[in-house]
Amino acid sequence: MWIWNLLSLTFVQLRRHPVRSMLTLLGVIAGMFLFVTIEIMQNSLRRSTEISAEDATLVVYRQNRFCPFASRLPQSYEQKIAKIPGVREVYPIQIVVNNCSTSLDVVTFRGIPKNKMDSFQKNFTLLSGSIDSWKQRSDAALVGRILAERRRIKVGDKLDAAGITVSVAGIIESDNLQNLNVGYLHLDYLQQASRVGLGIVTQFNVLVDRPEQMESIAHAIDDTFRYDQDPTSTRPEKAFIAQAIEEVALLIQSGRHVGWAALITVFALVSNTILLSIRGRVREYAVLQTLGYENIHLLWMVVLEGMMLGMLGGLVGLLGSASLVYFGHFTLSADALSVVFTVEPKTLAIGLVTSLLLGFLAGLVPTWCVTHQNIVDNLRAE
Amino acid sequence: MKSQSSPIIISCRNLTKSYYKGDTVVTPLENLDLDLEKGRFLALMGPSGSGKTTLLNIIAGIDSPTSGSITINNQEISRMSRSQLTRWRGKSIGYIFQLYHLIPVLTAYENVELPLLIQKISRSEREKRVLNVLELVGLEDRMSHFPRQLSGGQEQRVAIARALVTDPMILVADEPTGDLDAASAQNILSLLRQLGHDLHKTIVMVTHDVKAASYADLTLHLEKGKLIESSPL
Ligand SMILES: Nc1ncnc2c1ncn2[C@@H]1O[C@H](COP(=O)(O)OP(=O)(O)OP(=O)(O)O)[C@@H](O)[C@H]1O
Ligand SMILES: [Mg+2]
Repeated sequence: MWIWNLLSLTFVQLRRHPVRSMLTLLGVIAGMFLFVTIEIMQNSLRRSTEISAEDATLVVYRQNRFCPFASRLPQSYEQKIAKIPGVREVYPIQIVVNNCSTSLDVVTFRGIPKNKMDSFQKNFTLLSGSIDSWKQRSDAALVGRILAERRRIKVGDKLDAAGITVSVAGIIESDNLQNLNVGYLHLDYLQQASRVGLGIVTQFNVLVDRPEQMESIAHAIDDTFRYDQDPTSTRPEKAFIAQAIEEVALLIQSGRHVGWAALITVFALVSNTILLSIRGRVREYAVLQTLGYENIHLLWMVVLEGMMLGMLGGLVGLLGSASLVYFGHFTLSADALSVVFTVEPKTLAIGLVTSLLLGFLAGLVPTWCVTHQNIVDNLRAE
Repeated sequence: MKSQSSPIIISCRNLTKSYYKGDTVVTPLENLDLDLEKGRFLALMGPSGSGKTTLLNIIAGIDSPTSGSITINNQEISRMSRSQLTRWRGKSIGYIFQLYHLIPVLTAYENVELPLLIQKISRSEREKRVLNVLELVGLEDRMSHFPRQLSGGQEQRVAIARALVTDPMILVADEPTGDLDAASAQNILSLLRQLGHDLHKTIVMVTHDVKAASYADLTLHLEKGKLIESSPL
């Protein structure tokens, strides 16, 4: 097929204009790097706050408190909550974080009663270590993968954060991205180590029987403690997370405009390169037309040039972005909850298709100029 | 000169070409008639601005007449659409330019290959044809050279090879030796004459040079928009 011939012809032409091609590629790489990085952040935000529809977990927090330091609830609420019809399981959880404000390196400890771990562990899978060894040591921790990679720790190592030292009993992976940036400790150990004291927890995670009951059970819980010294505020986990990291989310979402700007830059750059290269080759195209090249051939030659620049630059840019995110183990946290940055193949595919498409579009305008001029005039050009 | 007559391959009737520049009208070709037999080597002469290039471009199908008709090999090309004309040109015409117009970033081989890239032929067939025409013009040992590494005469041979590679019926050349020294010019001209003879090509060549015209087997002069058979000198 002639299109393959023109593809290799275009490639040869690009290769023999190395300086121009490299400069354009550099711009495309930078632009696509920016775009894909921002896309990854957007997607990670979505995945971090997203909890699947069948998830039926409520979070009970101290009313009007937003930071885990400030939310203190009596652990004894557990029995009262467990009695409410439709409640399947109650997990009292103590949360300690080494840095409560927005930060890139936040370590969150969650304390959970030892006897609850058997049912709680279905929230994650173990990559290494074991639940039994966690149970055996009071200072043991199950550590999320991203946290473990960022701190370069493995099973048997010590982890130091927020003035607490724990021993790593297992590394966990989870669909719920929050779990990737936390360490699960024994509740009583954490309560003592953090000097909060026994009997006080930050929140309760309440698993209900049926998702559609979430709202009514939330009301029932809050009603139960309305006139207590510590009234509660109960919301589905998803809404809870979304509110906690609202500002982080806004920050990330505002990056979207930067992403679009990066795309426009790439488009303008490739388009300009092609336009200039065509200007310098007006006569060349006229010669090709004389040799029998039709508009469709010239169209593809120009468009392929754009697509090649777009694809090569896009590929390098997105590999760069993906490795930055993958090896950087970034998380952005607020109030002990995190946006964990993870690379999804889908995002990379979108990046690649976008850069191809941009290259294609960038070639269209210049092509129109070539094919709508007079051959004889163009042969006289220069 | 040929004695028995061959079929007519190029036929122009009442061919007129006018250019409009603001209020002034230039009419380099006016009611021109031409019949050229197949296999002839025609030299077109005439003063500068007399319309030689214009006529050549119309024959080559890259320009079209304002009025009148031109028929080539029984096809009236003055009635074809732009895209029909492009396809026809790719198969029927080999154009040789005064300034060669090779693509500087492509090797001699790649330049000659250009017209075949858009045709439905296999890779091996393409290679065979390119090597064949490069051999015909005597440049098989220079095929991986870039235009800047070739002399003017060699560049023009590459251009001739490129014009020949599609095996067209007609070769047109606009002052093909205008930019060459006497020795290279002679070389190119005898190559053209020999190719025309061996491959039975019809050749239309524009030239200023009487000596160049002597290589052709027929010379016509353009004067005031028309063709005159005998030399006015
Ligand atoms: N695109 C154009 N627009 C306007 N006028 C044109 C155009 N092309 C040619 N002409 C005019 O038509 C006339 C014939 O031009 P043409 O190039 O055919 O001459 P020529 O015989 O080839 O001359 P030369 O020997 O100098 O190459 C000239 O007066 C020229 O100015
Ligand atoms: Mg001329």
